[in-house]
Amino acid sequence: MQKTSAEIGGMGHPIKRKEDGRFIQGKGNYVDDVNLPGMVYGHMVRSPYAHARLKSINTEAAKKLPGVLAIITGEDLAKANLAWMPTLSYDKQMVLATGKVLFQAQEVAFVVAEDRYTAADAAELVEVEYEELPVLVDPHKAMDADAPLLREDRTEKNNKIFHWEVGDKAATDKAFKEAAVVSKVYALSPRCHPAPLETCGCVADFNKATEKLTVWLTSQAPHAHRTVFALVGGIPEQNIRVISPDIGGGFGNKVPVYPGYVCAVVASLTLGVPVKWIETRSENLQSTGFARDYHMTAEVAADKDGKVKAMRVKTLADHGAFNAAAQPTKFPAGLFSICTGSYEFPQAFCEVDGVYTNKAPGGIAYRCSFRVTEAAYLIERVMDVLADDLKMDPVELRQKNFIPAAKFPYQSPLGWTYDSGDYHAAMKLALDTVGYDALLKEQAEKRKKGELMGIGISSFTEIVGAGPAHSFDILGIKMFDSAEIRVHPTGKAICRMGTKSQGQGHETTYAQIVAQELGIPAKDVQVEEGDTDTAPYGLGTYASRSTPTSGAATAMAARKIREKAKKIAAFLLEASEEDLEWEPGKFSVKGAPGKSKTIQEIAFAAYTNIPPGLEAGLEAVNYYDPPNLTFPFGTYIAVVDIDKGTGEIKVRRFVAVDDCGNIINPMIVEGQIHGGLTEGFAIAFMQEITYDESGNVQGGTFMDYLVPTAVETPHWETGKTTTPSPHHPFGAKGVGESPNVGSPAAFVNAVVDALSHLGVKHIDMPITPWKVWNILKEKGLTG
Amino acid sequence: MAVKIEKTFQVNEPVEKVWVFLSDPRKVGTCVPGAQITEQVDERTYKGAIKVKVGPSVTDYKGEVQIVRLDEQAHEIEILGKGQDVKGKGSASMKMTGKLRAVDGGTEVVSVSELNVIGILAQMGSRVINEVSNIMFEQFTKNFRQQLQNAETGGSETAAAPKPISAVGVAFSALKAAVTGHSGRAEAKPGPEGAKDSGTS
Amino acid sequence: MAKKELIKIKINGKDREAMAESRLLLVHFIREALGQTGTHVGCDTSNCGACTVIVNGKTVKSCTMFAVQADGADVMTVEGLVKDGALHPLQEGFKEEHGLQCGFCTPGMLMSTYALLQKNPQPSEDEIRWGISGNLCRCTGYQNIVKAVQYASKKMAQGGVK
Repeated sequence: MQKTSAEIGGMGHPIKRKEDGRFIQGKGNYVDDVNLPGMVYGHMVRSPYAHARLKSINTEAAKKLPGVLAIITGEDLAKANLAWMPTLSYDKQMVLATGKVLFQAQEVAFVVAEDRYTAADAAELVEVEYEELPVLVDPHKAMDADAPLLREDRTEKNNKIFHWEVGDKAATDKAFKEAAVVSKVYALSPRCHPAPLETCGCVADFNKATEKLTVWLTSQAPHAHRTVFALVGGIPEQNIRVISPDIGGGFGNKVPVYPGYVCAVVASLTLGVPVKWIETRSENLQSTGFARDYHMTAEVAADKDGKVKAMRVKTLADHGAFNAAAQPTKFPAGLFSICTGSYEFPQAFCEVDGVYTNKAPGGIAYRCSFRVTEAAYLIERVMDVLADDLKMDPVELRQKNFIPAAKFPYQSPLGWTYDSGDYHAAMKLALDTVGYDALLKEQAEKRKKGELMGIGISSFTEIVGAGPAHSFDILGIKMFDSAEIRVHPTGKAICRMGTKSQGQGHETTYAQIVAQELGIPAKDVQVEEGDTDTAPYGLGTYASRSTPTSGAATAMAARKIREKAKKIAAFLLEASEEDLEWEPGKFSVKGAPGKSKTIQEIAFAAYTNIPPGLEAGLEAVNYYDPPNLTFPFGTYIAVVDIDKGTGEIKVRRFVAVDDCGNIINPMIVEGQIHGGLTEGFAIAFMQEITYDESGNVQGGTFMDYLVPTAVETPHWETGKTTTPSPHHPFGAKGVGESPNVGSPAAFVNAVVDALSHLGVKHIDMPITPWKVWNILKEKGLTG
Repeated sequence: MAVKIEKTFQVNEPVEKVWVFLSDPRKVGTCVPGAQITEQVDERTYKGAIKVKVGPSVTDYKGEVQIVRLDEQAHEIEILGKGQDVKGKGSASMKMTGKLRAVDGGTEVVSVSELNVIGILAQMGSRVINEVSNIMFEQFTKNFRQQLQNAETGGSETAAAPKPISAVGVAFSALKAAVTGHSGRAEAKPGPEGAKDSGTS
Repeated sequence: MAKKELIKIKINGKDREAMAESRLLLVHFIREALGQTGTHVGCDTSNCGACTVIVNGKTVKSCTMFAVQADGADVMTVEGLVKDGALHPLQEGFKEEHGLQCGFCTPGMLMSTYALLQKNPQPSEDEIRWGISGNLCRCTGYQNIVKAVQYASKKMAQGGVK
């Protein structure tokens, strides 16, 4: 790939972001900024109970409040067959409760009023009578045959959602029987929540005169949502327009369809005016897509020298009251089977059971590919346990078992073909950068003095870019993605994609792809996403799929344009196509450098001097079906110091070496790494949503759900290796989520390492000072 | 959210007199701030209500109080109270044992309560519930002593109509207490009884 | 409907007035009554700082203040940073150093850092991190926001811009 000039700004250039202008001036257009004439407001009435029969709803007092326009209940929706809606996992979910409620904060009624304060007042006046039922918040108990039945709407009379297995069980069990060493860990990936700074919401505007429904929506996948609205609401799809304007962070939280959206649409259809619904932060944390809640057991069988022979995994997945996970259909546990990680396992077997509990429904892929964080955490944790059991250096153990670079493409025992990788190189760079040997010496000396210092390694492999049509669909829609490019007469371009940025910088990075492929300066390329009336169909942005899918589509569409441009150039230069050579931005006649046409001249000709036999115009569309997923990887090293008196953990250093293949914009990649590491840090040390035994959610506001500020957040050191993806049009892999996937294990491994000489083998996340202090107290190190 | 509260306090009255008062939900119920006993259903069961206001949020629990166990000899009573908020904001249930013991100067009242709260209040966490309970208990002991005194003087003043315990003040004290780690006992008046509260929180 | 009061404020140098219920939050007054949507709402417990504005020279979380309390006040929001069509060095810094991704926390960050630099024109990294500790960001990990502030601090020292 030829490097373009800085003026063109193609791949590899750290050009400043084109979208920043409006954000730094406070001129972003987020959903709550949308104000339409006659717009009214909706507010949700929610259940305080985790499990109860709904006896009655009395809306009389609420209706009488001046300014209240309508109150919708589950019974009302049931008349239009809308009380339930399909989830993205082929389950169904109550829009508004009928019969019973299944989690605290579940939606029970929707109040519409002239302003949001009145709507909130009216919601307080709605009287609901409940009859409490026994609550199930422990997923293990929920699996028992005699557990209270939560989902009376299903034919199955238990709380089990699915059982999924992959791998060769017999061969794996045999390998375990014959193994010299078996290491085991029970690791919890606690329930947490992405908490993007902008909460979810919409403005639903049904125009009775045109019969067109426009929905401004916090959506990471606007086309998929449009199709769901069409199927659920029975509105013809051409009459629905979903607009995802600027989105204030997604991280997976804005992938599901929420009851608030459906209620706002119904309210608008009924009242014929725009209805705005914006949830509060509490509602966001308590009722929208949570992440993780995977209860995992991993075993590794190895020989006495540490060569791994087999891996066995059993996991219980707590999905809350409804399976609202946004998951490719064939993979109810997502891509969890990447759990053999970066290592050459001859055999492996993995099984996952999904179960319902009285908690908010989900889960979503929180800044990761589906369930990949859980998998990466598990393998990196169990490898450390194995290293500890063997009294072997965790770096040495990993290097011994890495899939060697020469063995790619690599077929894992759980069915994935890893496209490319060089784990040794990433590891080496990380070790050199952090100064590993010196740190080991320092740790040994500190231990003699009774000081606690830990070094944690995570050498993860991720699997992103869902995905190939043969295996990947969501609700039946294949997971291709798209790009449409049109070049104007003056040589500028506009492109639209089926993905939707929530901060990833697509307006810049996609322009850079076009700049690379066509030589049109990135500043001359306008990128739009999110309007389903204009953008080609796509499955949206999450699971690091944009660059692998729409990025590829952009390159392919640009190449189609280049092919036509070549024909036009040949015509203008009176040469044959074989005699032309390309450099970004122009075609020249071989051997006659003076004879050339720039892409701008060619674009102008496409409208003014069209070669006979060719159509006018210069544009192309591509729907890209990726032949495989991509496999970014890296090695992260965390260095921590623990205060013996308080249990407080200080992250002294964190080195992150990432390999995401060829990079479009290094500045944007670095920003993504910083952000993802910060979320991984938060997950390891502070973020957790728990429920007490009565189903009360603890951690339902920012007072209790801790997200890091600038003060706690460590300083990040980033580095890279580059191992392109052989099957991607420009060798890129996607990177937005790797840091969130790989880092929790590095932090946890570091803390356990600091305490391993005291006999500590594992500590579950979040690792709070309280947890550490209790361990120190138990070991007699503190009072 | 389950919370256990153990409180002990002393009153300057003989055991028998205190027992008559304690074993009658209609009498003791009036001491609980914001509460009222509305109806007697049978020998052991009563209907009641309690209004609790935390900040701007009012929960109006209506439910039942049942005497589970009454031991005249040992002066022990166990009651179970359950209530649901009429608007559907949540529920609360409390199992309380009260035990009397004659001591020098009067009677020692030992109470152990297990409180379970569901709903918005419970989301605020046990630290708030504990402190709110502490403050409600302070008010209860004040009322209890006052009622006992009225009974003695044959005071015809009926207990004031139950005002919802305004927990705006409660919430602030609770917050302050949670943050500073001690209960603001500004309201405990040093009276002739010498309020000896040896309760644990 | 509850009784409304007339609120008069000077916002970004302009005199504006509108009616408001006494319980209307300042952030809603700014966003809806005055149509300045740069200031955002990110939480309901005063934790996130997305609503940070400057009232009479001090940073305030406008979700924790009533509009009536701002009657007669001098208010600055993110829309007031641009002067004579030119970006403030902080705004430049955020763009140059990639201190924003989704942009939702950015207005609050700009207000907090503007106030910080007024008080402390040459802050250390620690002082910057403490200065923005009341503003949550989920995208950037704060590292480039620190660099953005350092950029602005340097530029302001050179150019005499306030």
